Amino acid sequence: MTETALLVLLNLTWQIAALALLALGLAIVFGLLRILNMAHGEFVMLGAYAHVLTAQLGLPPLMAVPLCLALVGLAALLVERLVVRHLYDRMFDSLLATWALSILMREAVELVWGRAYRNVALPVEGVTELGLVGYPTYRLLVIAAIAGFFLVLWVWYRRSLTGVRLRAMVSNPALARASGINTARLSAMAFVTGCLCAGMAGLILAPVMAVEPNMGLDALIRSFFALVVGGLGTLEGLAIGVAVVGGLQAGLSAALSQTAGYLGVLILAILFLWRRPDGIYRRR
Amino acid sequence: MNRNCRTLGLASGFALMLALPAVAEVRIGVLVPDSGPAGLFGPSARNVAQLALEDINAAGGINGQPVRLIFADAGVPPAQAVQSVVRLWRGEGVHGFVGMHDSAVRAALVGQFRGQIPYIYTPVYEGGECAPGTWVTGETPAQQLAPVLPWLAENEGATQWYLIANDYNWGRGTSAAAREIIEDFGGAVVGEEFVPLGTSDFDASLQRIRGSGANAVLVSLVGGDSVAFNIGYGAFGLDDRALRLGTLIEENTLAGIGAAGSNRLYAAAGYFGNIETEAAQAFAARYHESFGADAAPLNTLGQSVYDGLLLMAALGNAAGSMDVAAIAEVADGTGISTPRGEVLLAGNHVAQNVYLADGTGGSFSVVASFDAVSAGVACE
Amino acid sequence: MASIVVVSAALAAALLMVPVLGGDFLAWQIGLYLLYGVAAQGVGLAWGRGGFLPLGNAVFFGVAAYAAAMALRATGGALVPNLAAMLVIALILAAIAWVLAAILFHGRSDSGPFFSLTTLALVLIVAQLAGTTPAITGGFNGYSGFPPLAGLDPFGNLYYVIVVLVVVVSAALMALDRLPAGLVLRALVAQESRLQVLGFATNRVKAWAFAGAAFITALAGALYASHQGIVTPQATGFVFSAELVIWAAVGGRLHPLGPLFGAVAIGLLSAELRDTLPWWEVVVALIFLVVVLMAPGGAAELVARGARRLGWRRPITQHSPGPAPPSRAESVAGALQLHDVRLGAGSVQILRGLNVACPQSGILCVIGPNGAGKTTMLKAITGAMRVQSGHIRLGDQDITNAPPHAALGNGIGRKFQIPTVFAGLSVTENLQLAALAGRARGVDFLKPSAFGWQAEPLVRLLAHPGVPLAGLGTLDAGALPQGHRQMLELALTVGAAPRILLLDEPTAGMSPEETVLMVALIRAYQARTGAFVLVIEHDMALVAALQARVLVLHQGCALAEGTLNAVRADPAVAAVYAGGAK
Repeated sequence: MTETALLVLLNLTWQIAALALLALGLAIVFGLLRILNMAHGEFVMLGAYAHVLTAQLGLPPLMAVPLCLALVGLAALLVERLVVRHLYDRMFDSLLATWALSILMREAVELVWGRAYRNVALPVEGVTELGLVGYPTYRLLVIAAIAGFFLVLWVWYRRSLTGVRLRAMVSNPALARASGINTARLSAMAFVTGCLCAGMAGLILAPVMAVEPNMGLDALIRSFFALVVGGLGTLEGLAIGVAVVGGLQAGLSAALSQTAGYLGVLILAILFLWRRPDGIYRRR
Repeated sequence: MNRNCRTLGLASGFALMLALPAVAEVRIGVLVPDSGPAGLFGPSARNVAQLALEDINAAGGINGQPVRLIFADAGVPPAQAVQSVVRLWRGEGVHGFVGMHDSAVRAALVGQFRGQIPYIYTPVYEGGECAPGTWVTGETPAQQLAPVLPWLAENEGATQWYLIANDYNWGRGTSAAAREIIEDFGGAVVGEEFVPLGTSDFDASLQRIRGSGANAVLVSLVGGDSVAFNIGYGAFGLDDRALRLGTLIEENTLAGIGAAGSNRLYAAAGYFGNIETEAAQAFAARYHESFGADAAPLNTLGQSVYDGLLLMAALGNAAGSMDVAAIAEVADGTGISTPRGEVLLAGNHVAQNVYLADGTGGSFSVVASFDAVSAGVACE
Repeated sequence: MASIVVVSAALAAALLMVPVLGGDFLAWQIGLYLLYGVAAQGVGLAWGRGGFLPLGNAVFFGVAAYAAAMALRATGGALVPNLAAMLVIALILAAIAWVLAAILFHGRSDSGPFFSLTTLALVLIVAQLAGTTPAITGGFNGYSGFPPLAGLDPFGNLYYVIVVLVVVVSAALMALDRLPAGLVLRALVAQESRLQVLGFATNRVKAWAFAGAAFITALAGALYASHQGIVTPQATGFVFSAELVIWAAVGGRLHPLGPLFGAVAIGLLSAELRDTLPWWEVVVALIFLVVVLMAPGGAAELVARGARRLGWRRPITQHSPGPAPPSRAESVAGALQLHDVRLGAGSVQILRGLNVACPQSGILCVIGPNGAGKTTMLKAITGAMRVQSGHIRLGDQDITNAPPHAALGNGIGRKFQIPTVFAGLSVTENLQLAALAGRARGVDFLKPSAFGWQAEPLVRLLAHPGVPLAGLGTLDAGALPQGHRQMLELALTVGAAPRILLLDEPTAGMSPEETVLMVALIRAYQARTGAFVLVIEHDMALVAALQARVLVLHQGCALAEGTLNAVRADPAVAAVYAGGAK
C-alpha cells in the first residue's frame, strides 16, 4: 500500500514538473504579450527534433542543447519579426496567425524529417531504487532540474533589473514605454524567450514522448488548461495551475481511469473559466 | 442512379475528365493517407502500389486491359475523403477501389458505394465488415490473436493478461477478442482499461499494470499513444515483469519506441518487412531497389495495399469483368500469392499467415508463424 | 431591404445554376461546402457581429447531425416529423448556447480568450464522448444506417433543400445588419462598456448572437446528416471547429456572405489540391496567414474596399420619423446618496468612506485634485467598479453594485471622461443608438421603424442652432474632432432622458465657443427636465458659469460642499489647492 502511495506521489511530482516545463513558455508569451501562442506546441516539437538533427549531423548528444537553442531561437525570431510583432494588440488575430504558423511549422518539419516517429534514447537509463519502489533515473533528474530552474527563475524575476522591467511592462505598457523601457525590444525578447522555453521543454521531454511532427497539439492543450486554472501572467499562478491540473489528472487517472483524468481537467477548466476568469487576468 | 453519371462540367476544371481515355483500361482508385494521423503510412502505401501495378500489368493487366492507378488522400475526415472518392468513381469512371484508411472513412464509403462497385479494404481493423461488394484483407483481432495468445502462453508462460486499449472501435474489438481467447485456453484477464485516443501520459496505467500481477500485457494502442506507452513501460522496468503483445505495432511504431522500450515487446501481424520467406525477401529487395535504401520502411499497413491490388486484379480476372455482381460470384475461394504467403478469400475476409515477431533490441525478428489463419468473421 | 432581395435572388440563382452547369456531382460536392459555409456563417455571426471568437462551434454542428441522424432512423426519414425534429434540435442547442454565453459574459465588458477556451474545452469533451459511446453514436466509426430526409437523393434534390437553407440564412443575416439588433451588435464590438451605460445588458446581447450562431450551425449540421449518410466524431471535433474559424476569417467575418464564400472557396481549393499536391495543407495555411496579416477583414473586406474605390456607397436608408416610446430612464426612485462608500483597486484605496447627499434636482459640480476619486465615484454609481463597502441609494432603493447596464433603467446616464462614442459607426447610427437606449425592448430590435424614432431630448439637442451634429450624418464617429465628439457623447447620454446625468469633464478639449454652448445645453436640459446633473470639472470659470453648488473631493472623501464662494473660503480646501486655486 505504501509502495503504491509512494509511486502515486512520484508520478504526481513528475506530472507537475513536466507540465510546468511545458506550460512555462506559453505563460511567458501570454503573460507578457497577451498573445495566445497556438504554435507553442510546435516550438516544443522543434526542440525535440534538435535531437534528431544532432544525430544526423553526427554530433555528440550533448550538442543538442546549443543546437536546440539556435534552431528554436532562430525560428522564434523569424516568427516574431515577420508575424507576431504586427499583432501585439490584436488578440484574436494573433491567435489565428499563430494557428496558421503551427500548421506551417508542422509541414516544414514533415518536409525535412518526414512523418515517422523518432526515438530519442534516454540520456540516463535505468531505474533508481528509492527504498520501496524504483523510479526512472532520468525522470528524477529532470524533476530536480526543473525544481532548481524554477527557483532560480523566481528569484531572478523578483530581484533582477530585467525582472523589474518585465513586471513594469506587464502592469502598464504605456507607462513602461514612457520610462524609457524599450518595449518593442523587450517584447521580442519575451517572445523568443517563451519559445526557447518551449523548445527546451521539448528537448528535455523528448526521450519520454512520442516524437513526431504532430506532437505539439497535445502539449499546447495541456499547457492551456494549466494556465487557465492557475492564472496567467505570474509565476505563482503558473505553479498553482500546473499543481492543480497535473494533480487532478494524475489523481483521477490513478483512482478511476485515464478518461476520467482527461475529462476531469476539461471540466475543471470550464469551471474556472466560468467562476474565476479574473484569476487568469489578474492585471486587468 | 444513371443520371448521377451525367455530371461534371465546366465550373471547376472537371471538363478535362469528360474526355475519358480512348484506350480501354481498368482504373483502380487507391485510397491512402497522405495527411492526418495515419499520414506516415502514405509513402510506403504509395510505393507498394507502384510495385503491384508493375506486377499486374506485367501479367497482362485485368482481362487483358492495362491497369491505371488513381490515388486519393484518405487521411482526411470521412466527409472530405468521400468527396475525393466519389469524384474518382463518378467523375473518372474508376472501376474498383483499394483503400488503406481508418474505419470511419470505410463506414462512410460503404454507405456511398452500397455494393455498386468492388471495394477492397486492406489495413488491420476490428472485424465485422460484411457489406456487399466489400472485401477485407486486413488482419482482424481474432486472426492475429487466436494462434498467438496460446503460443505465448505455452512458450513464454503468458497466462495472466492485462488489456490496455484506446477507447474506440478497434481497441475495444481487440480487447474483446482477446478476452474470449484467453479465457478459452485457461488464462486470466487480470485487468482491462481503455484510454482516450491521444493519451500521452500512461503513468497511472503503468502503475495499475504493476499492481495487477499480470505477466503479459496486450497493447491495443495506436500510433503515438503506443509509442508513449511503450517508452514509459520500458523506463519503469516493467519489461522484466510482463511481456507485451501488440497487434498494431509495426516498423514505424517500433522505431519510435526505440531499443530501450522494446524489450520483450511482441507484435503479431500478417506481414513484417523482414519475413524470411523467399517471396518476402525478394519483395523487400525490390522495394529498396526501386525506392532507395532509406525509403519509408515496409510495414503491414503499407504493404497491405499491395495485397489489395493483387486481389483486385485476381478477382477481375476470375470474374472476367469488373462488375461487382460477377466478382461476388467468384470471390469465395479466389487466392493470391503475396509476400505474406498464400492469401485466400473466404467470405468477405481472407485467410492468411500470421507472424509473431519479437521487437527486443528495436527491430523485429519473427519467432513463430501460423499458416492460413481464418479471419474469424462470419459474414452471412 | 430591397438590396437584400436582390442579393438573395442573385445568390439563389447562382446556386441553382450549379447543377445545371456543373452537374449533380459538383452540386453534391458544393452542397457539403455550403453546409460548412452556413456553419461558418454562425462563426461569423458570433465573431464578426458579437465580437467573441468561439473555438468550439462544431459542437452545435456535430450534436445536431447526430440527433438528426437518430431522428431519421427512428422515423424512417418522413418529412414533417424530421423537419420538426431538426427545428427542435436547433432550438435546444440555441437555448444552451444562449445560457452558456449569458453566464460566461455576465458581469464583464470584454470578450477575452476565456470564452474561446471554454468552447474549446467543451468541444474536446463532446468529441471524446461521441467517440467512446459506440452504443449511442457508433463510436469512432460513426453513426450510419439511416435514410436521408424525406427520401431525398443526396446527389439530386437534397441540394435544393440546402440552397433554401443557405439563401434563407444569408438573407436573415443580411437583414440583421439592417435592423436595430444589428446596429446594437456593431456598437457592442466597437465599444462594449459604452453600450452597457446605454442600458444594454451586453452579456445578453452576446447570448443572442451566440444562440443565433448555434441555431444556424445546428440546422446545417442536421442537413449534413442527410447529405453524408453517416455522422462521425470529426463532425463535432476541435479540428473542424478551427476550420470553421479559418473559413470565416478568409472569407470575411464581417460580411454575412463572407464565411459562406470562404468555406466554398477553400473547400473546392483543398479538394483540388488534395489530389494533386501532397502539401496542400501548406497552401491553405499560407492563405490563412496572409489574410490575417494583410487583410483582417478577409475576402469580403477586400471586395468592399474595391467597391468603395470604384465609388460605390452603401445606400442610406431614410427612415420615416415616428414617435419614440417612453424611456425607462425618465423616472427615478429618489435622490442619489452615497453612504460611506469604500472602493479600492489592488493595494490602492481610492474611495475612503465617501458620503454625498445629492439633491433631487439641480446641478452639482464636483472638483478636486487628480486622484481625488471623482471619476471613480461615477464608476461606483454606475456599477463600472465594485464598491467594497458602503451603500449607494436612490431614495429608498439600494443600487450598490448594480450592474452597469442597470444604471440607465434606474434613471442614471453617464458621460465618460474621455469622450467615448461608437467609432466605426456613423454619426447618424450613434444618434439612432441614443434614441434606442432605454426605449427599445423585445421585438423593437427587429423593427426597422425604430430607426426613425424621434426621442425628444435628441430632437431638441439637434435642433439647437449651435450643435453641429445634424449635418455630419454619414461621417465615422471615430473621426470627429474632440469638440464634436463631446457633443455626440452628450447626445448619447441624454438620448434616454435620464433624470440623473453624470457628466465627466464635458468640456475638455473644447474651444471657448463650444464650452459656452455646452454650458448652455446642460443648463437648458436641467431646467427643462428638472433632472439632477452632476458635473466633474477642473475649470473654475466653468463652475462659476454653471451657477451650481460645489462638492470638493480629496483623497476619496468629501472635503467640503457649498456655493463656489463658500468652498473657496474654506481653509481646508485652500490647503489642498495651495497655490493652485484659479
